[in-house]
Amino acid sequence: MTHNRVVLLFFLLVCSQTIFAQSLKDTLNLAGFEVKSNFLVQNPGFKKVRIDSSLLIPQINADLSTILAQHSTIFIKSYGNGSLAQPSLRGTTANHTQVEWNGIDINSPMLGTMDLSQAPVSQFDNVEILYGPAGISQSSGAFGGIVNLVTNPDWNNKENILFSQTAASFSTYTTTAGVGVGNQNVQSVTKINYGSSANNFPYYDDLTNTTEKLTNAQYSMGGISEEAFFRFSNKYFVTARIWYSENDSKIPSLSPLNYSSQYDRALRSMIEGKLLGNKNILSFRTALVDQFMRFTDGSTPADSVYKHQVYSWTNRIKWAYSGIRNLSIKPGLDLNYDWVISDSYDARKTRNTIGIFSEFVYDLQKKIDFTFVIRQDVIDGKFLPLIPGLGIEYKPFTKIDLSLNANVSVNHRYPSLNDLYWSPYGNPDLQPETDYATEISLTYSFLDQRHVFFLEAMLTGYYSQMQDLIQWSPVSGNSSVWRPENVSEVLARGLEVGLNLWWEVWKGRISFDNNYSFCRSTSEKAQSPNDASVGKQLIYIPVHSLNSTLSLKRNEFYLSYNFLFVSKRYIGTDNETYMPGYSISNIIFGKNIHVKKFVLSLQLQINNLLNLDYQSIVNRPMPGRNYAVTLKFNFINQRPD
Amino acid sequence: MNILTKKFTIIRAHKYFHDLLKGLFIFGILISAFSCSKNPIRESNVTPPVTPPDSLSNGVFVVNEGNFNWGNASVSFINFSNNTVDPDLFRPENHRSLGDVAQSMNISGRKGYIVVNNSNAVEIVSLKDFSSIKSLSGFNSPRDIAFINADKAYVTNLLGDITVVSLRTMEVKSVIKTANWTEGMVSFGNMMFVSAIGKYTDPNSSRSAKVFVINTLTDQIIDSIKTGKEPLGMVIDKKEKVWVLCTGGYDHVEAPSLIRIDPLLLEVEKTFTFTETQNIPSRLCINGTGDTLYFIRDGIFQMPVTAATLPSQAVIPSQGRLFYGLGINPANGNIFVSDAVDYVQNGWVYQFNSANGQLLHSYQVGRIPGSFCFPNSSTKK
Repeated sequence: MTHNRVVLLFFLLVCSQTIFAQSLKDTLNLAGFEVKSNFLVQNPGFKKVRIDSSLLIPQINADLSTILAQHSTIFIKSYGNGSLAQPSLRGTTANHTQVEWNGIDINSPMLGTMDLSQAPVSQFDNVEILYGPAGISQSSGAFGGIVNLVTNPDWNNKENILFSQTAASFSTYTTTAGVGVGNQNVQSVTKINYGSSANNFPYYDDLTNTTEKLTNAQYSMGGISEEAFFRFSNKYFVTARIWYSENDSKIPSLSPLNYSSQYDRALRSMIEGKLLGNKNILSFRTALVDQFMRFTDGSTPADSVYKHQVYSWTNRIKWAYSGIRNLSIKPGLDLNYDWVISDSYDARKTRNTIGIFSEFVYDLQKKIDFTFVIRQDVIDGKFLPLIPGLGIEYKPFTKIDLSLNANVSVNHRYPSLNDLYWSPYGNPDLQPETDYATEISLTYSFLDQRHVFFLEAMLTGYYSQMQDLIQWSPVSGNSSVWRPENVSEVLARGLEVGLNLWWEVWKGRISFDNNYSFCRSTSEKAQSPNDASVGKQLIYIPVHSLNSTLSLKRNEFYLSYNFLFVSKRYIGTDNETYMPGYSISNIIFGKNIHVKKFVLSLQLQINNLLNLDYQSIVNRPMPGRNYAVTLKFNFINQRPD
Repeated sequence: MNILTKKFTIIRAHKYFHDLLKGLFIFGILISAFSCSKNPIRESNVTPPVTPPDSLSNGVFVVNEGNFNWGNASVSFINFSNNTVDPDLFRPENHRSLGDVAQSMNISGRKGYIVVNNSNAVEIVSLKDFSSIKSLSGFNSPRDIAFINADKAYVTNLLGDITVVSLRTMEVKSVIKTANWTEGMVSFGNMMFVSAIGKYTDPNSSRSAKVFVINTLTDQIIDSIKTGKEPLGMVIDKKEKVWVLCTGGYDHVEAPSLIRIDPLLLEVEKTFTFTETQNIPSRLCINGTGDTLYFIRDGIFQMPVTAATLPSQAVIPSQGRLFYGLGINPANGNIFVSDAVDYVQNGWVYQFNSANGQLLHSYQVGRIPGSFCFPNSSTKK
């Protein structure tokens, strides 16, 4: 007790000195957990999966790339801790996966991609993945899908204060803090995160056959966010959010000319509102995203610096009407504006996007639901081809939770600004890419009557034919000139299996979460007479990937074992060279101590338990066995339910 | 809960987790042992390496750049006696990668010198079995190596200066300061002509391109001759004229040009200007008899050193292939040209008859074949 007062005092002291923050994730929601499925639908027929928030809690010090690699079917192409990490979803490239923050696109409009290492877990509560065609209800071009980082209010919260400190191998430190206060009508959440690492882990240098320490790999990152949630008589909801983040990282390379670095700064802000009527929901939002990137090319004596500044203003208004029998209609309008000043462009470039869309959901006899989605994007006055999608959901039984979902869709992706304007070889004549996709899913869930055992399973097959994909390649025999062209064709097809279960037994709880992905993504069109890539797997896309997490909780102890397997990835388009497959085990062990409204948690984490010497990307070393210790204080004052 | 039961619970919980932990460890070890080997996870080949040829004298070395930052540079050998290819001489012999981005190779005595640009090294290998003798460091993004005599070589660098190397001690001896990206070299008497693009970090528009003239006895720059933008290739012909191919800049700052320098008067005596700026010429080569120039400009062009104008017709059209590197066999004048395909798969080399442009052979080689080195002569590129 006395001890806890001291701790609180210390905490408040630190609080008052630095404006800091944190994620307010409740570590110990052991009693009275709600039973909720993670396998959802975006609209009937369209697949959506949520990463269980209980998997995020022990990983408060991690970034999004770790979460997706360990708990989803998304393959992460990572250049190492704190370095560039890009997603590959369903055999597509990174620019076919859109990353959103509460529905706002936070991919760089220049690159069309997002570096997942720059999204710390402490800044969001949930991750939702909209697979492939499900994305068309949100935007165009996300052939792989959409990863949405979600934050939610807890209306029962009175006060919640959290502070967490991690110390890990290679001088890695992560601090997160947060304060949430409010009542049933207003909630305010402030979060701060800061992390830094020397990242100088030892690796085996194949060139010299010696063990070296990685150099020029240090990084630091920080962020602060403030969210204000308002609700009035359960009818009107208004949310304002602001999230500022900074990243400063060196870019390691095994070349001796190795001094490059990158600085990123982003300010994302949004206001959204929702009006609930009897048969109507009207929602609107407006968001401003300001992204700045500075790349320092250290391979030259006088460092060359390239700066890129992007502003994006996005607006959406959407109306949902369910007044017609069995039919609901959800039309909406998007108005987006991007504005870029870049050292790599000749001049300031802008892009304006108008999107008109509507979703129609028709309920037939309670067992069958249909969705029809249609979207028309107009970009800089040019009409993108129409984007339609048709989905069906069939629930044959009333007592068994089994459903069959299927859909067909056509999607189009507009080129990124770099593809269009990169000086001097950007190609303003590029056409949109096209994707013809279909998928079918079978979902089953089971909860026993006493609510002590839960199982959910999902099996999905997909088939996606992508055409006119943009590829940078040398122009007509002149190797020094590379230019993007709509030349490539890719066929991606595969299977996804999700299997989650939990069981309350021996006064504890066992849970087991599994994701498996089989993906064949092949090039379908030769680019030149000698091109041996046709029919071959795209580079850096594994055919098989599997992750499993076994979690145990009992008597305030918790243990989580994560197993990750990635099969071989080809690194030649002719599939003559490859990186062998690998398996990584990670383990987290911790204990919570409850004293009244205080929770103190101590956690030990061991990554790469078996100390595998591996490379995910060729010539990029990855750390061997490494450790992290986390100490966490949480003060929770909740309104009783 | 009294203190005794509490203690008991904790002990039981400890034991419970201890057992579970043990079980998990075994589970993890089993599953990992099952699913992959304990060997380091590194780049591997689907096709196993072939037995190297007995002799590396009758053929051509193909220097494969490999991908930038991938550390997958290699040297292939095309054996003329049976037209077979050893795709990778270095790695099987030395059990390590050659390094990152092999730029060029040259031969002096019984040693091969491979310039490995992004590893900042010159790899010295025995021509008997391609075993590494020394990996020489101390460069500044090296591009090319030229020999002055049995003990001295110059190495040009992208990030400035020319490195003077002692071949006997295999050490860097000194540096000739230039502050310029230096590239091609041609020796004439006691002079070395070195093409210089300008400062690497400057944009092409403000770079002043030239050819440095260096006294090879004193290692001093004695003169410089102004050229067009980006003078990348240099050769010397049978009439002892130095030819310089200027691309005009990768970003098309000016029209590409081919210039002829009189190495005695140290001045440009003739400039041929290409009309179409967008199509950049590259890889200037000369045949063994020193009477015909070759370069790539989409297809392959041939030009007698006596010609009054630039050739208008390709002797070998590209036909959709991406010609990348060029070399002329000094023994018979046959044209060797490489195709890097999409730069992410094994490349190809074609051998053509220079007289009629007929394709004689094609060979699959390593990743991004960029330059050639013929063992029976130090003429290359």
